[in-house]
Amino acid sequence: MTQSSAELTAMKDFARRMLSLDRRLIFLLIAVVTLLPLLYPFRLPIRVSPEVRKIYDYMESLPEGSVFLLSLDFDPSSKPELYPMSIALLRHAFRKNLKVVGMTLWITGTSMAESVVAGVAQESGKEKGKDYVFLGYGPGGANVIISMGQDLYATFPTDYYGAKTAELPMLKEVRTLRDIQYVISLSAGSPGVETWYVYGKEKYDFELGGGCTAVSAPGLYPLIDTGQINGLLGGLRGAAEYETLVGVAGKATAGMDAQSATHFLIIFLIVACNLFYFLTGQEGRRRG
Amino acid sequence: MSTEMLIGAWVATGLSLFMYSFLYKDNPFFKLGEHIYVGVSVGYGLVITYYEVMVKKLYVPMVQQGDWWLILPTLLGLLVLARFIPALAWLSRISFAFIVGIGSGIAIPRVISSLILQQVQGTLKPLVTVGDGGVSWFTFAGLNTLLILVGVVSVLFYFFFSIEHTGVVHRIARVGIYFLMVSFGAAFGYTVMARMSLLIGRFDELIQYASPDYGYATLVLLALVIAGLVLWERGRTSESDNG
Amino acid sequence: MIFWKRSFPVLLTFVLGVTFALQYYVPLPASEALLSEVSVWNQIIAGFAVILGVTSLLHVHYTKIRRQEAGWGYSVVLYLSMLSTLLVGLWSGGESENSAFGWLYSYILVALSSTMFSILAFFVASAAYRAFRARSLEATVLLAAAVLVMFGRVPLGEYLVSGVGQISDWIMSVPNTAARRGIIIGISLGGIATSIKIIFGIERAYLGGRD
Repeated sequence: MTQSSAELTAMKDFARRMLSLDRRLIFLLIAVVTLLPLLYPFRLPIRVSPEVRKIYDYMESLPEGSVFLLSLDFDPSSKPELYPMSIALLRHAFRKNLKVVGMTLWITGTSMAESVVAGVAQESGKEKGKDYVFLGYGPGGANVIISMGQDLYATFPTDYYGAKTAELPMLKEVRTLRDIQYVISLSAGSPGVETWYVYGKEKYDFELGGGCTAVSAPGLYPLIDTGQINGLLGGLRGAAEYETLVGVAGKATAGMDAQSATHFLIIFLIVACNLFYFLTGQEGRRRG
Repeated sequence: MSTEMLIGAWVATGLSLFMYSFLYKDNPFFKLGEHIYVGVSVGYGLVITYYEVMVKKLYVPMVQQGDWWLILPTLLGLLVLARFIPALAWLSRISFAFIVGIGSGIAIPRVISSLILQQVQGTLKPLVTVGDGGVSWFTFAGLNTLLILVGVVSVLFYFFFSIEHTGVVHRIARVGIYFLMVSFGAAFGYTVMARMSLLIGRFDELIQYASPDYGYATLVLLALVIAGLVLWERGRTSESDNG
Repeated sequence: MIFWKRSFPVLLTFVLGVTFALQYYVPLPASEALLSEVSVWNQIIAGFAVILGVTSLLHVHYTKIRRQEAGWGYSVVLYLSMLSTLLVGLWSGGESENSAFGWLYSYILVALSSTMFSILAFFVASAAYRAFRARSLEATVLLAAAVLVMFGRVPLGEYLVSGVGQISDWIMSVPNTAARRGIIIGISLGGIATSIKIIFGIERAYLGGRD
């Protein structure tokens, strides 16, 4: 065997060994790469994408006292992505003195949705029943939306805290979804943004915006293109962009450096995997 | 900081580390955490259903507002539960027929209008721009409109399995495949983004709980979980040696 | 009896399906009132359906405990956690603000749920290293789009290569939109076909059972 062919064989062996690396090493790498930027952030600027800016601009254009409905259609499993989004949107809405209606279509998200709406309202000095209401959980996804479009008081006879909705000062003029100026659904799947469009906006004619986990974002782009939703906050990045616009750096902005680092690690892993894959030669590729 | 918060931080950290122990391998700590998760979720769901549905949407309107006719959906709801009694299970079909019949009827016109007609309409846009300065033939927006049109048509061609994929149809379907590949690639990129965000969110909280304010909960419990895993492994090894 | 067991549900589905499909095109006060009433009814029935789902799950674990199958102890843990949450929830009157029920939610349910799903980050990384290979032209296109989107959607990528963010935005709003639109139209057509089959009694799987 010549020296060069021996080197080639050694290289192929090395590539093969690298391809069958213990996956726990990759787990460790991911953990370290996520942890380091959280401990030592480098704070790079965040560019705002057009679909996020559209939501911000629309919120800005709403006159004081307009009714804004935020449907927190997610559960704790998507909290890191959608909770910062809710905080940024609620802060913006209360700062603009909009009347806020909070609710959820996801049963296990009820307490979380209540705590974020009540928490941000309290922080902004808003009064329950007068400046904001939290309706609680509505079962049956599409049915809740249709029912709210027909008669909100029948859908939610009482708010989450047990007060009669028909008697709440804030809801005096809000009988159906037609009386709401802007709806945003923050969704982790179905029921969510698409449900709000198909069973809500299509008939009851309110403006609709969306926020969602990054997993569901690509599927909602056709709805932005047709104007069926007027903007979209996609994942933690979308939340960070909104925080940038509102001017309050929160959890999403803080997580962006770690997001950068982990994306670069994944890109590195993909490049390395392909490099080793081609180094194994034709025979190795057939096996792999 | 209140005692409830401190205890809460220790419990949340311990349970989170139980779940992460799965990264080493499936083990009793993970299984314990997993079953507590399901149990608490179910319990929580029942409590919320009781208060948010049974009390607020049924009891309050029926008893306090006199909407007695809500007895009818209550009966239909109870029929759903007939599924547990084999002799009466067929009664649940009436409730399912009710829900599914109405659901299908309501969905058809709305889906046609929102997700088919409006999406088709969004695809068929003018390729040229007519402004004050006359007609602009080759604009970036026009190119994008054309690309979307080509993409949608070719993807739909690819999905039409009833047409044999040969000749021109084959070539158009191939273009569709490339559009789908770009979309799947983007979806993978966004999935990575989503999963990493969840990890960042979780680590952020665990870092907070590692601080002296929380009695170094994360660090202490991490050491304990690792020790637990070592002991569990030793137990398994000696068991297999004896066996 | 056969009529009530078999034909009546199918007939009911047909009548209700046709009625509510037509209701959309006849928005008269009476038909709108009907829609309002029925949408409230469906929410109440959905509440009972939650109980059905939960009971089915508990039944599986009950069988495990009764037969003392492998890992039955964990099923006991499931029952205990469920019962404790239920009792604490009823004791707290379903209120989560400053209550034991809220504590259970924040420190147990939220912690476990978000950790469970964050584990996927590790597996997605492992999959990227193991399965993401440029074996064909199609796979290469997929890989290139994924890398560009991942690179362009984070501040570091945009800091290193100016304009990459806009490329990523373009991928999302043009080729991705086109493909997703094709998928949405395809799925919607399929969904409508299924709904029509249900209304006309061709598809009856939702009724379950044989007799």
